[in-house]
Amino acid sequence: MTNLIHLIWNEQIKLYARKSTWVMFFALAILVLASGIISRLWDSEFQTTEYGTNWQVELQEENIRLTSEMDNDELSKLSNPFQLEKNMYHIENEIKPLPYDGWQFLYDNSFFTTLISLFTIIIAAGIVSNEFKWGTIKLLLIRPISRSKILLSKYLTVLLFAFTLIFFLIAISLLTGALFFGLNNPTQTVVLEHGMGYAHGSLLNVILKDYGLSLVTLLMMASFAFMISTIFRSSSMAIGLAVTLMLAGNSIVLFASHYSWAKYILFTNTNLGQYFNGAEPMMEGMSLSFSVTILCIYLALFLMASWVAFTKRDIAGH
Amino acid sequence: MDKPAVTLQLINLKKKIGNKEIIKGLDFEIHSGEVFGFLGPNGAGKTTTIRMMVGLIDITEGDVLIEGKSIKTDFNNAIQHVGAIVENPEMYPFLSGWKNLKQYARMVPGITDHRIHEIISLVGLEKAIHEKAGRYSLGMRQRLGIAQALLHKPSILILDEPTNGLDPSGIREIRKYIRALAEQENVSVIVSSHLLSEMELLCDRIGVIKNGQLVALEEVKTTENSTALQDVFIEAEPLAQAKEYLEMQLSTGIRLKGKELILSLQKEEIPSILKKMIGQGFDVYGVNVLQSTLEDKFFNLIGENSID
Repeated sequence: MTNLIHLIWNEQIKLYARKSTWVMFFALAILVLASGIISRLWDSEFQTTEYGTNWQVELQEENIRLTSEMDNDELSKLSNPFQLEKNMYHIENEIKPLPYDGWQFLYDNSFFTTLISLFTIIIAAGIVSNEFKWGTIKLLLIRPISRSKILLSKYLTVLLFAFTLIFFLIAISLLTGALFFGLNNPTQTVVLEHGMGYAHGSLLNVILKDYGLSLVTLLMMASFAFMISTIFRSSSMAIGLAVTLMLAGNSIVLFASHYSWAKYILFTNTNLGQYFNGAEPMMEGMSLSFSVTILCIYLALFLMASWVAFTKRDIAGH
Repeated sequence: MDKPAVTLQLINLKKKIGNKEIIKGLDFEIHSGEVFGFLGPNGAGKTTTIRMMVGLIDITEGDVLIEGKSIKTDFNNAIQHVGAIVENPEMYPFLSGWKNLKQYARMVPGITDHRIHEIISLVGLEKAIHEKAGRYSLGMRQRLGIAQALLHKPSILILDEPTNGLDPSGIREIRKYIRALAEQENVSVIVSSHLLSEMELLCDRIGVIKNGQLVALEEVKTTENSTALQDVFIEAEPLAQAKEYLEMQLSTGIRLKGKELILSLQKEEIPSILKKMIGQGFDVYGVNVLQSTLEDKFFNLIGENSID
């Protein structure tokens, strides 16, 4: 156990000794900061609207204004009905709209987890193949430590890196959000799109769910890149394949959706959000437990293939 | 004196890749405090054998025992006695020499910072140790490589082509370390090379491998044996009479080459023959003894770099 911790410690040192790792953190920070500044400047009028004690009246007035806009403007005809409907939901369920704040900024930033997936893929793709590229694999594998343990330490390092990035994203988002928009109580109720209509829940719950679900794609694609990198010892190939699949995933599902076997495709199951937003599951016969089972099978396959490739292979030549 | 303990043992070691047998059954032992040279042309199977010894590649048949432990079935207990550089001493280029060593120190329990400092001063890398390894010269990398191999005080040190790409002073220095390790610390050192002359200076014993087979196993010291025959070149006048005279004195054949006579003599015979010749009034202009080196000895064994 102690040497597993030592191995992970070693991997962390190798990871953070390289500039490319810091560039990822830097890029994320810049993007979050930029999105904060843009939200602040562009949408200032709308997002800082504070509703008073007569918020029901204010909302109704806003709805009247929105309806009249729709008569004159083609563009408004498309966008305004959503706002109208949302306002109606607020009034019907007696939920006062919250002013925009740091927590909502954090919620909006959850799409940056896609970028974190990409960064994690890059790290996962290099963590084994780089040792081959540097030639250091020969020095690594002649220590009194089993190959399985070395591989495990590398995989855990990838996961640790992903969590570190997510934690960093949350911290920097809250900080930026607090700076630009202030912070309110995150347990207040908010209204969200839910299937064809709207639903409400505590903001903190919604944030946790959103970030939590984004981990699924991240975990699967990072494990996939890790496998490719271990088998083919090429980081560029692993990055290329994993990123292509991640981006093409939805198209693949769409393309295959006529067939019943499409529900066994990895990407049909990675969006677990489909079971929480009130909409129908993507395909017939799918449920949360079905998807979780499929995901676990894929994950086990990826890890198994990595393990076999790493522990059984001869380390010969360059 | 007792025979020193066996530290490493190869038992009918074989490696097959596909249908091709690359290593065809190697059997030999290495003792503690011995510098063993593993010699052979490129492609003879030196590196493959070394990689099997340290568990980097699978053993098809046979076994390697290190301090009695099988590398196949008891990897962790066997490999902990081994320090090695396999081919080039590759390091993490973005880490300093010190941090590179720390990486390996963390992987074996009980290596203190004090021990790391000790090794660094042994290989003479104090000045550059906090520079990035990527900026090291080949000689410095080679020293760092030796440092990482020695960190955990192994009883067997395996160095694959340790002087590859080093300049003459670097080679001399490496040779000095290796001899000191074997003589003072009683470490068994296995050195592979395709350079005969170098091995001769460094090793106690040499195994010659060709096409995956051991074709010779020799003690280096025997070549200095005084009873061994050496070719002696003598330039004397008058040549024909000298040849005649020597043929009467000696049982062995005498060849004539240019103005020189070539005799096969034991070292201790040389002075008496010369005295006799001078006593008979021959003018001796020069005597040359051809040092019989491993080069001559093994050249026929190794021959051309043939790979079949």
